[in-house]
Amino acid sequence: MMSIPFFGVFLAFVATLAGSRTLALALWFVSMAAMLVLFKLHATDPLNIAL
Amino acid sequence: MSPDLSRTLNALGLAAVCVVLIVAFADQLLFGDLPCPLCILQRAGFLGVAMGLALNVKFGPRPSHYAVMLISSLAGAAVSLRQTLLHIVPGEGAYGDAFFGLHFYAWAFIVFMVCVAGTAAMLLFDRQFADGLKPPARIGALGGIMVALGLLLAFANGASTVLECGGGLCPDNPTSYLLLQDGAAGAPLRQLFGQ
Repeated sequence: MMSIPFFGVFLAFVATLAGSRTLALALWFVSMAAMLVLFKLHATDPLNIAL
Repeated sequence: MSPDLSRTLNALGLAAVCVVLIVAFADQLLFGDLPCPLCILQRAGFLGVAMGLALNVKFGPRPSHYAVMLISSLAGAAVSLRQTLLHIVPGEGAYGDAFFGLHFYAWAFIVFMVCVAGTAAMLLFDRQFADGLKPPARIGALGGIMVALGLLLAFANGASTVLECGGGLCPDNPTSYLLLQDGAAGAPLRQLFGQ
């Protein structure tokens, strides 16, 4: 599951080289969305700081 | 700034981001410093930035490509800032080895901020967008090599993450590659990854 952003960006690079800009942008968007979801799943410990 | 100069500068920026990812990979493979989950997500952020640069190199500079770089930089910076705050209190410990006095997550935050500043600086030059939506000239040798390198690094990071974490979430403090732990079939891979 953690590899989804990487393989998403990999496919976006492939789309870029193939000349498909819209597909590349769509794959980048999916990759960043997956990255942020994974970030939320991993950011569970409370921060020991006072803001 | 002409569109051609902009594409060259974007190719150089892509080279710089690739160097960042190669240094992280070298630290992992040569020194056995396994990336934690947040470290992995920061690498994904850098690859997002690389994607925006590659779009500028391949299709010519567009504001939307710079937006890709800014959004990716901010997402990566959020992850690295979170990790820095986890370890910012003295005595809380740190993750991984220091590199020139700072840990990788602190360096990552700095580099993401440099990406934001560099992107903003590039956006100051309106003439690079003069060609509009016209098809750009063929991709140059430098640009082509850098885009191919970015593609290779994206795949390598994906494969490394599968080896480390399998198909699920990564452990918070990984000590070994999950898929290289048992069985003789993975012996050559274990040797390659220093396990």
